[in-house]
Amino acid sequence: MAEIFTRFYKMSTIREYLTNDHRRCDELFASMEDAANTSLGDAKQKTQEFIDASEHHFQMEERVMFEEFEQKTGMTEGPTAMMRHEHSQMRTLMQQLMEALESDNKDKFFGTSETLMILMQQHNMKEEQMLYTMAQQHLSEESDRIVDMMDSMIVE
Amino acid sequence: MELTGLNADQAPPISAPLRFFLTAPLFAIFAGFLIFISDASVLTSRFSPESIAIAHAVTIGFLGFVMLGAMTQMLPVLAGVKIYKVKFISSFSYTLLVVGLIFMLFGLYFSKQTFNALAVISLSIGFLTLLIPMLIALTKVDNFSPTVKAITVSIIFAVLAVLMGASLLSSYATGSFGEYHNLVANIHSVWAVFGFAGILIIGVAFQVLPMFYVAPRFKKFCKRRVVILISMGLILWALLNIFAPEFSFIAKIWVGLFFWAFATTVWIKLNNRRRPITDVTVWYWRTSTVFMTIGLFSWVANSFLDDKHIVAVSIIIGAGFILSIMTGMLYKIVPFLVWFHLNAKGYASIPTMNEMINKKSAKLQYVSFLLSLIGFVLSYFKPMFLEYSALLFVLSMTILEYNVINPVLIYIRTIKTKPDFDMSAFENMEIK
Repeated sequence: MAEIFTRFYKMSTIREYLTNDHRRCDELFASMEDAANTSLGDAKQKTQEFIDASEHHFQMEERVMFEEFEQKTGMTEGPTAMMRHEHSQMRTLMQQLMEALESDNKDKFFGTSETLMILMQQHNMKEEQMLYTMAQQHLSEESDRIVDMMDSMIVE
Repeated sequence: MELTGLNADQAPPISAPLRFFLTAPLFAIFAGFLIFISDASVLTSRFSPESIAIAHAVTIGFLGFVMLGAMTQMLPVLAGVKIYKVKFISSFSYTLLVVGLIFMLFGLYFSKQTFNALAVISLSIGFLTLLIPMLIALTKVDNFSPTVKAITVSIIFAVLAVLMGASLLSSYATGSFGEYHNLVANIHSVWAVFGFAGILIIGVAFQVLPMFYVAPRFKKFCKRRVVILISMGLILWALLNIFAPEFSFIAKIWVGLFFWAFATTVWIKLNNRRRPITDVTVWYWRTSTVFMTIGLFSWVANSFLDDKHIVAVSIIIGAGFILSIMTGMLYKIVPFLVWFHLNAKGYASIPTMNEMINKKSAKLQYVSFLLSLIGFVLSYFKPMFLEYSALLFVLSMTILEYNVINPVLIYIRTIKTKPDFDMSAFENMEIK
């Protein structure tokens, strides 16, 4: 009993771990917009930080958690395929954010960030409400190992 | 668990929510015209058929339509459930609601009993064919988040309000008013406003404020208990009204306190939000919290004034609190839906959210709405303002219609062109 108790507090579940990472990306997104609101020129670093964090998050899912989920459930064309597809949509929008910064176009930047924000939140909602819950159910045995792998993953 | 909401092609077709959203401002415009042609003295009475007609042009025509449209879109995303045959059900329900509401407005305004009878049938069927499948879909939810719980409670209040409304309107159809008509009317309106709309708004705010504005999250107590405490207050209020009306103010204070706390919390969270953007949706949230607070205090205070000023209180709560938030939501949801569905169809170069709605015309819409709202409250005391306020309201709702039609026109123009990517691989993807 005590062992389970300490384990529970030591490791967060897949669901907690990835949900917390969503919040971290939200914070970075807000800092990026904050910087861009003052001056687009100074926002490059913050934008890059946000994009890097998001890319890291996407890869933790695509290269670790989704892989495990697909192996365990045999669903390769299911929810994870849709989530991968949405990741690629967000990557395109992030590219457009950088382009708006390069061309110093504030309207384009905030128009794109608004679209990205809503897409990202709708995407996060689906993952947090459904996919992570499912993943936790199917992968509960391997939860610690998977969290460890995601934690130590290096972005390609 | 079904993962239907994860797939754009299995999300409701864009037409399901849009048809409700595009119709809503039209009924509000119609309400504005009815106010314009009505005599101020008739409108100061809450039980005049004219007042009831105008109130429902706004509450069913605008608020109800926006809420139903939003729920068809939100249930798959927030709750992960699919409404049975959503495409057919939403268009069937929409048609009956439009026809039924027009019958009701004319029936009440021009005292036509047959129209009222037709309205009872089509409105009841219209509401229930959408609300009941939503409730059934919600029974399949695995992960009952506070938002999904609030939506469920809100739909239950909606069903009860619809049933009471049908019985009330039947009285106008038959011309015979029962002993409890006014009592049922009170419960109907309070449950519809606070139970259906109010609880839905609270539930959606839990999700939307932290997400779209990166505002601090709501406290656990708030998310877990507020909806149940408000529901208890609303039930207590109804019971007190039936058995001990002199004490009903206690339940009013109860319900009022929680909504007031909610209004204050929203205001503070908006102050502490991490996103610096201030757009028309933020103004609408703020306006709504201010009117919510004033409305609640006047609602309670009105108890001690023999409920004399209920019309003024209803304007403050119905238009100031609820209509404001709904309008703000439309500004976010319509352009996003257009973007989302175009993107899912494989179009890459889509105008951004900000390009779909002109900021200046959104601002103009907001200012004219706010002025008309203040004008309506003033005209309750000084009727000379009524006509001007009605015209301003018509103006603001016309601009709103223009603002929400614009993204839809972009959608229509774009789907006539060839997509940038072929997305047919995703079209038949089954997710079970």
